[in-house]
Amino acid sequence: MDIFLQQLANGLTIGSMFALVALGYTMVYGVMRLINFAHGDMVAASAFVGLTIYTHVTGQATSLAAVVAIFLLSAVVMAVLGVVLERVAYRPLREAPRLSAVVSALGASLVIQNGIMLIWGPRMRIFPELVPQVYWDFGGVVISLIQVIILVLSLVLMIALYLFVEKTRIGAAIRASSIDQDAARLMGINVNSIIALIFIIGSSLGAVGGLFIGLYYRGITFNMGWQYGLYAFVAAIIGGIGNIPGAMLGGMLLGLFNAFIAGYVSSTWADAFTFILLIVILIIRPTGILGERVAEKV
Amino acid sequence: MKTIQRFAYPIFFAVMAILPHVLDSRWQAVAITFLIFAVVALSQDIILGKSGMFNMGQALFFGLGAYTTAILNNEYGWSIIATIPLAILIPAVCGVLLAGPIVHLRGDYLLVTTIGFNIVFVQVVQNNLGGITGGPNGIFGLDSLSFYGIDLTSQVSVYYFAFAVLLLTLGIMRNLAGSKAGRAMHYLREDQLAAESIGINTRIYKIFAFALGAGIAGLAGTVFAVQYSAVSPEAFDFIQSVLFFSIVIVGGSSVPGVLIGVFVMFVLPEIFREFATWRFFIFGFAMIAAMILRPRGIIPATFGKIPKFLIKENNHGA
Repeated sequence: MDIFLQQLANGLTIGSMFALVALGYTMVYGVMRLINFAHGDMVAASAFVGLTIYTHVTGQATSLAAVVAIFLLSAVVMAVLGVVLERVAYRPLREAPRLSAVVSALGASLVIQNGIMLIWGPRMRIFPELVPQVYWDFGGVVISLIQVIILVLSLVLMIALYLFVEKTRIGAAIRASSIDQDAARLMGINVNSIIALIFIIGSSLGAVGGLFIGLYYRGITFNMGWQYGLYAFVAAIIGGIGNIPGAMLGGMLLGLFNAFIAGYVSSTWADAFTFILLIVILIIRPTGILGERVAEKV
Repeated sequence: MKTIQRFAYPIFFAVMAILPHVLDSRWQAVAITFLIFAVVALSQDIILGKSGMFNMGQALFFGLGAYTTAILNNEYGWSIIATIPLAILIPAVCGVLLAGPIVHLRGDYLLVTTIGFNIVFVQVVQNNLGGITGGPNGIFGLDSLSFYGIDLTSQVSVYYFAFAVLLLTLGIMRNLAGSKAGRAMHYLREDQLAAESIGINTRIYKIFAFALGAGIAGLAGTVFAVQYSAVSPEAFDFIQSVLFFSIVIVGGSSVPGVLIGVFVMFVLPEIFREFATWRFFIFGFAMIAAMILRPRGIIPATFGKIPKFLIKENNHGA
């Protein structure tokens, strides 16, 4: 029972990080029908940007204000990078065959990943201890302050995003663009700005996710984007890609699944089980748990 | 342009045939690598380019072939030549079994599922399931090539083995383009619904494409195992699949385009070795630029002898 509760806590933590990253994938896919392969590497880049801001801008301070500044600055840097990425690599290919855009995304991913390596070096770097090491022991189940912060902050961000997309006029424009871009344009929506906005939101959520990964796992490597990006993308598909609550649900489910595999089976098999879960879900429900069943269009 | 096209293949084959005699042993090895990866890229082209299925797990079939040869040779003492039938058959059968339940998935879902297969394969091999894959280190110390007692140890003979496999692959693809199956695959890539409505069993041909591409990739795996006399999990990582995928799309899914792609991806880095750390950074930019400048690939494929006036602009390609 202890293992169960412990892995439940760990799974919720990992799951909320997956969910934050998955939101970036799912929002871009919803509007552009494109797997943004570079998103995972943006998440990795954010951890390194945060590291540099910590050492060079905020002067290695760990006060609350400094930590908030690191999060905000990293999010801004990644949002700018996201807009540049869309402008350079994706916008020229919007009318091109779909696979061309996929290859462009893969190219962008290689550029970012190897850009991190060229700037920060190929070796693992240690992310600073921004949050004090506080642990609570509930009869064998240990929960850290970092876990609580990650979980609470992720939930707040996700609820805010959900309300923004469902309740505001701009949110309605995002939803309209994801249903039919041409019709949205006819209704006076500037689809280009909506896509730029989506990259801003997705990249800054990914930036927070990247900093959480740094805080939680401590060791950050230039090529970790593939790993976390792939997991987050799987989470988005499990939930039903293009669907925002689906990405949150998928992220949490995948985090819990991973934690229980690590707890009860072995972490060396985590990848294999994750993808077997994905394949089984896709065979049973080809569009994910919350995805709408789309009839084949003629 | 017409005359270039007519003479390009004979010149290419002639150059490739005498190539090992003018290269030193390091460049012979590079040339063999080129041949092996060209075969894998072409096998990927059968699934991705010719049939239009978003497969991003081709390294799985490549690896299955290589591991079949390595395990049969190392554990059971088969000669390398004797392992070839199984190195083709096992990946092909796996192609059928894996593709069967998933070919109905639409584009991107298929893509992610095939990535998944690739990752599961690498993890199975790494964790040494059944104790025969050698774990993270792989299997090394394979026998060299021999045929009815004639020893073919030299690098030149490996080169000609690889070259023969490439010629065989090109021959298969040429025959495929003119065959009923090739036409069916082309139709299903252009418009699956239309293909179904004129009586093509798309499911059968999709699985057929996977089986054929997997079998050829498996054969390339045997050549890989012979050349390096070793196999290890990271050679068949999902990143390799990404490279094969990109080569086919950037090349335009035509034979010359794919060969140019393989050359750029695997031979140029050998020439510019001092820029090794910049390799993928530059390739990434090159992939983006190539797609923006030529969205249908460097040399877009054309199909059969359809008269020009029948082909609508923008209607040819993925």
